[in-house]
Amino acid sequence: MQSIIKAYNALLQGMAVLSGVLIFASFVMIVVDVSMRIVGLKPPLFTVATVEYILLWFTMLAAPWLARIKGHVFIDAVTQFLPPAIKTVVAKIVYTICVVSCSIYAVHSYLLFDYAWKRGLVDLRTVDMPQWIIYLPMPICFALVAVEFTRFLLGFDDMYDKTVAEREGV
Amino acid sequence: MVMEWYWALGTLIGMVMFFMAMGVPVALTFITTNIIGVVIFMGDIAGWLQIADNSTSLITRFTLGPVPMFIMMGALFFHTGLAIRVFDGLDVVFGRLRGRLCYLTVAGGSLFSTLTGSSMANTAMLGALMVPEMKRRGYSQKMSMGPILGTGGLAMIIPPSALGVLLASVANIDVGRLLVAGFLPGFVLAALYATLIYLQIRFNPDSAPAYDVEMPSVGERIKIVCTNILPMGLVVFMVVGFIIFGWATPTEASAFGVLGVFILAVSFRSLTFEALKNAVEATVKVGAMVFFIIMSSTVFSQLLSYSGASAGLLEWVTGFEISKYWILFFMFFILISLGMFMDATSMMLITVPIFFPLAEQLGFDLVWFGLFVLMTFEMAGTTPPFGLLLYVMLGVAPKGTTLFQVAGAAFPYLVCDAILIMFLIFYPGLALWLPSLM
Repeated sequence: MQSIIKAYNALLQGMAVLSGVLIFASFVMIVVDVSMRIVGLKPPLFTVATVEYILLWFTMLAAPWLARIKGHVFIDAVTQFLPPAIKTVVAKIVYTICVVSCSIYAVHSYLLFDYAWKRGLVDLRTVDMPQWIIYLPMPICFALVAVEFTRFLLGFDDMYDKTVAEREGV
Repeated sequence: MVMEWYWALGTLIGMVMFFMAMGVPVALTFITTNIIGVVIFMGDIAGWLQIADNSTSLITRFTLGPVPMFIMMGALFFHTGLAIRVFDGLDVVFGRLRGRLCYLTVAGGSLFSTLTGSSMANTAMLGALMVPEMKRRGYSQKMSMGPILGTGGLAMIIPPSALGVLLASVANIDVGRLLVAGFLPGFVLAALYATLIYLQIRFNPDSAPAYDVEMPSVGERIKIVCTNILPMGLVVFMVVGFIIFGWATPTEASAFGVLGVFILAVSFRSLTFEALKNAVEATVKVGAMVFFIIMSSTVFSQLLSYSGASAGLLEWVTGFEISKYWILFFMFFILISLGMFMDATSMMLITVPIFFPLAEQLGFDLVWFGLFVLMTFEMAGTTPPFGLLLYVMLGVAPKGTTLFQVAGAAFPYLVCDAILIMFLIFYPGLALWLPSLM
């Protein structure tokens, strides 16, 4: 069991690292593209489409890790005034809502991926891209976000145990 | 289900408010509202496939590229120590001026705003850096926290503004024009803040006691300015200049802004692997969090439109025979009220699909209106009881500081913001002149 948890944590961390690598790569690609244009060379056609895809992958890959580090912003303007017992109940309802919503998204984005994969759909951008590349990270990441909220729901962690200043990294 | 527009609007906005009040993360609030909204207005769950599909449409736009780039640029600027260099340079410029730490905050904050684009980071950094020093020098709390809160918000309007890019993308207006539109008003606001500080010190000299500062020679001062401040102009030019001269799209210019910070960090030998790692991590944390929220914005605005809420509200509001400035005032009031409870991105998602078509119908220039909205977001962030910047400030203020004291310090700066908004209303050219050159 320990090794499964370790592997799962490493997966979350690895996905966040990949998200960072991708966004850095997009910076390099844009700079190279514009520099080639400035010196009169023909820049690669795929830059814009690849950066557009990276923006989605960057978001999706980091989402489960953000849930783990409690990085998804929420508002506690109302709940902070609730008595602890009620606050706990509300928190459990919130976690349940998040698990259900993410699961619905995970299932439906998987259906989209499956459809695009089987039909060989093509996304027409500056270069043609297989459409399943857009859908691929969605079921995986929404499922993992659902797992993270299940952890909160089962009491392994508490999403609300940080102050605003801590959440903003102050 | 067919509903009157006001019921549809109330249902959608009400769900968002309800889930947010419960403490559901903002991104999940919109996702859940969309899931339920589809069932209510389309009558079955077949639409869930559509909302999953449409979620990808906004965040796969090249125009959104500047958001992570600006965040990376600002984070690199902090983590490589370039920010401290600028501050040290400005410190020397102000010399023995009474209240110099306040002016230093405004000048440093304005410069940081052009280089970072994040109000939170600005407020947090200026707060952590300046408040202890101001306390040590006997500045009153009002004088130490006020300029930081005011200047922290400048990042929202002075380009590069990550929030400006988001707003332009969600509202479907020209990113470059909106970014450039904030340039002059941003510096006018900084000048208003400086005037305010001058007046505060003039009427209450004890609030910022004078003290002796060791001054370097004139030659040394010129050298410090040339090495610590002027090179930062390269980054500002790479972003704002490239956009104004039409040499690059805002996304390309933002990548060159990152390159500019890289060049400076390498020149000052302050680029380390650790700094780079921290900057990329900050980009993932903030950028991905914001993108996860705006994923739902397209579907939310489609639901508002499909349910008839947007069209109904538009018809209702434009049916009144009142001045368009009264309607502008009501929009301002709604944004300020929302800002007491929620962050700028959430406000944007709720109000943009309603306010922008309305503004267009009323004949406002949308770039001008975008800047007006950004200014209002800035004010909302410092409005008690729940303005987010107030809490960030409270986090770095000395122990025992109350929210009331922080809000009190911010108030005169809110008045300056209001004055700038009036300027913008009476002299729209202040915002629209630079974009007109593009």
